[in-house]
Amino acid sequence: MSVIDRIRRLFSGKKKETIPFKILFAEFKKSLELNNQILDLIADANDKLSGDYIFGEQYIQQTCRQLADLVRQLIVTINHLTEQKYAALYISFHKIEEDIETLLQGRVLGQVKDYILPYSMISRALTDSVGGKNAHIAEIGNLLDHRIPDGFAITTEGFNLFLDENNIRDKILSIRRSWHQSEIPVDEASRRIQRAIKEAKVPAKLEMEILAAAEVLSRRHKDITPCFAVRSSALGEDEISSFAGQYLSRLNIPLQEIPQAYKEVLASLYSPEAMEYRLMMDFRPHEIMMAVACQLMIPAKASGVLYTYDPVRPENETMIVNSAWGLGEPIVAGEVPTDHFVLDRSPPYEVREVQIVHKTKTMVQRGCGGTGIDGVHEDQRRESSLTTEQLRELAEIGMRLEKYFKRPQDIEFAIDPQDRVVVLQSRQLRLQQTRAPRACDLHDLEEKYPVLIRGRGIAAMEGIAIGPAWVFSEERDLNDFPMGGILVACHATPQLARVIHKAVGFITDVGSTTGHLATVAREFRVPALFKTENATKVIADGEEITLDTECLTVYKGAVQELQYYAIQEEPIEEMYEYRLLRRVLKKIEPLNLTDPTAENFTPEGCRTYHDLTRFVHEKAVETIIDLNFYHAHHRDTQAGKLLWDFPLDLILIDVGGGIEGSHPNGVRPEQITSVPMRAILDGMSYPGIWDMAPAGVDFSSFMSSLTRTTSVRSTSPEDVGRNLAVVSAEYTNINFRLGYHFTVIDAFVSDNILDNHIYFRFSGGVTETIRRSRRTRLLAKILSHYDFLCELYGDIVIARLKRTNRKRMMKRLFLLGVLVGFTRQLDVEMVSEETIDIFFNKIRTIMEQEHGE
Amino acid sequence: MANKQTSIMILDDEPIVGKRLKPSLEKKGYEVESFTSSKEALERIEERAFDIVVTDLKMEGMDGMQFLTLVKEKYPDTEVIVITGFATMATARESFNKGVFDFLAKPFKLGEIVEVIARAEAKKKKDGKA
Repeated sequence: MSVIDRIRRLFSGKKKETIPFKILFAEFKKSLELNNQILDLIADANDKLSGDYIFGEQYIQQTCRQLADLVRQLIVTINHLTEQKYAALYISFHKIEEDIETLLQGRVLGQVKDYILPYSMISRALTDSVGGKNAHIAEIGNLLDHRIPDGFAITTEGFNLFLDENNIRDKILSIRRSWHQSEIPVDEASRRIQRAIKEAKVPAKLEMEILAAAEVLSRRHKDITPCFAVRSSALGEDEISSFAGQYLSRLNIPLQEIPQAYKEVLASLYSPEAMEYRLMMDFRPHEIMMAVACQLMIPAKASGVLYTYDPVRPENETMIVNSAWGLGEPIVAGEVPTDHFVLDRSPPYEVREVQIVHKTKTMVQRGCGGTGIDGVHEDQRRESSLTTEQLRELAEIGMRLEKYFKRPQDIEFAIDPQDRVVVLQSRQLRLQQTRAPRACDLHDLEEKYPVLIRGRGIAAMEGIAIGPAWVFSEERDLNDFPMGGILVACHATPQLARVIHKAVGFITDVGSTTGHLATVAREFRVPALFKTENATKVIADGEEITLDTECLTVYKGAVQELQYYAIQEEPIEEMYEYRLLRRVLKKIEPLNLTDPTAENFTPEGCRTYHDLTRFVHEKAVETIIDLNFYHAHHRDTQAGKLLWDFPLDLILIDVGGGIEGSHPNGVRPEQITSVPMRAILDGMSYPGIWDMAPAGVDFSSFMSSLTRTTSVRSTSPEDVGRNLAVVSAEYTNINFRLGYHFTVIDAFVSDNILDNHIYFRFSGGVTETIRRSRRTRLLAKILSHYDFLCELYGDIVIARLKRTNRKRMMKRLFLLGVLVGFTRQLDVEMVSEETIDIFFNKIRTIMEQEHGE
Repeated sequence: MANKQTSIMILDDEPIVGKRLKPSLEKKGYEVESFTSSKEALERIEERAFDIVVTDLKMEGMDGMQFLTLVKEKYPDTEVIVITGFATMATARESFNKGVFDFLAKPFKLGEIVEVIARAEAKKKKDGKA
């Protein structure tokens, strides 16, 4: 509503019947309660991704519906409070709910709307849009900085457009159904679907974008003949290696023929083998989608395949390389004899075995658009197709990819005309299952290897990691973190997430499974053990260690018996349920609305349940202030602004016995009779609290920038302070927004010990995450010290205290006042870890002076 | 007999349960068979005994309660652990009346079920000696 509308309404004379404040406040409290329930449930669901839990679809559905229900109630509540001012929230909510329902039905939402994505823009976060093969190869190029063929992905969005414009989706489904009902054999179903796809036309706008992207590629690489490889990149293809080889790759395609090759690759999605396989794996119809990789061909001098393990005898700890001259196709297909090399899996990658075969034929590129078989030049026939240096380089690449993807790899490569190694494709290599050691081999590990940590800590991500320890301290540069290292740090601070691409494990002294680092560790499947108390003391920098989070154990040395598990598939990743939970959480957990003054802070801007929750909380507080202070006062309440020496815009609403006397120009602190409020204010006004630490030259303006949400002259009610306290004689509910911090205190203090409670919630912050994390930890330390039950979720601190006598409650509320008084400046001050103890001691000194404890 | 592996049957119609539990328990030295169909599990029960049976309570086709009753009738010494997504006091009580060893609500932590299984195993060993 604009200011003019408001003024009009004020003067229109049609004064609305005001709803009793009791009811409004009950709604307000309900919104706070819902807000907390939702955030707790989200944190809980996120925790399930750690791999520590076993959950099924039932759980996911239950959680989603429970959340939807709570969020819906929350929107109803804010609309009650505001006379339907935020009805648009329903639209955003339904959109999110619909997306989640779609996901629950087993469908996959593409993450992008683009039909084409160049490799430089692709990461694994886009796997559902570009398919596993594209995501893998692009990450190898973008993040690991290896040489890969330049290319782009044709996304699942493009695939959907293809099906929809040609109107063949239903046709495919019905043929598939006939096969499922055994009306037609799989071969016929496959033939019919493939024909439908091949006869369809690539939609004009898709074709245009494909050709334009290919044009860009050819212009960028003028030195080579612009020929393309068009490869499948179906959803789930690279996660499950049994899919390998079931789909088509078309090689050496001239630019103009890419659309035709695209159709052929799409059709291979319905090869009989692939159809049978998906039936077995219980693929949902909507999970069957194909993205396509379009890459510039490398005119290879030699090509080959590297296995980072001998799949038949993994216990040999060797790598296998097969290679020959020319293009890779006949090599991969096993149609030509290949040179065979066996290398050590550890540096310096000694070559153990060499078999050079007699190579007479080679596949070569014939201009563009064709390949041909040539005879091999006499001199080269008995020559090794790879040099020793190339073998070493390959071995290094292999180990890096294995560490990065956490699984044994099957890597296709080419040697380009400049003799450089180019990675064409990398996927999981399936090993023979026989090697899994059984407990009988494992039970005496502790006798064989010194144990550094045992039975301490919590697993933020399950798994096993082996590598050199790198102990972090403030003086060290994270850029120096070595590939394949295990990061050991005091605190699980978010800044550590920077090394996620290089680290194989995380170990910290302090940390929670719900923090940012834990979330990232799960996203990238990096085993993480937090809260070990003394990891940084017992683990020496540079020593080789083995981390087993399932057993909460850290061994000295590389435990060979566990090596297998370290690179073995983590079954959880291959679980449909796990993938599903991860997908739905993307619609639930991220917070996009962080700044209430930003343009996107609107109902339409809400893209997740978290956004909706955040938005409603802000508006609920604003509304209560607005209704009771700036507008028609309720008959049954009194409202006034606190007159105080400190720049705190606090609106007090008295619902009974909380303020005495009249207060036309504002409430003086001594007029406050509310027992909890008095105690809090006493704490807040404790001498020196507001300027406990020097805060730079312009202290007063700094303070007001934090505490005032706008300048004093501003008159628009929407813009003024958001600090609200609802009080009665025995009760106080405070909602502070000081700068970007949120503080909620809800307290009841009476002589009946059973009724007494304090709830304290603190979140948000304006500084970099590491200082924020120090502040969170400081708060938790203090609050726990003074009997509060504390929970930490990321940078949220929740503290509760119940069933405590009146006198003690007052002391604790005084403490909260002190904390509120100075925490808002803490981020700025908390420049080092030592500050935690310094501030902790200051608080203790105050408490001792005031209360003798 | 001292080194005989403890055998465990897992029955849950949500495949993820067996898929997650089996490797983890095997790593701890148990012999594990996992089923998603109560019919097949029942056929297997006809063929051999298990030291411990972990079963879901609510499944398609057959009630878990029925299944555990049959198991307990046939092998009174088998310890049964019940897991379920719909835990109510009534079902919990009924399962305990049927001699169920313990009861876990879904979703549960891997560590929790491992702990319950270890307790069941310890009880069996103690009973065996007594």
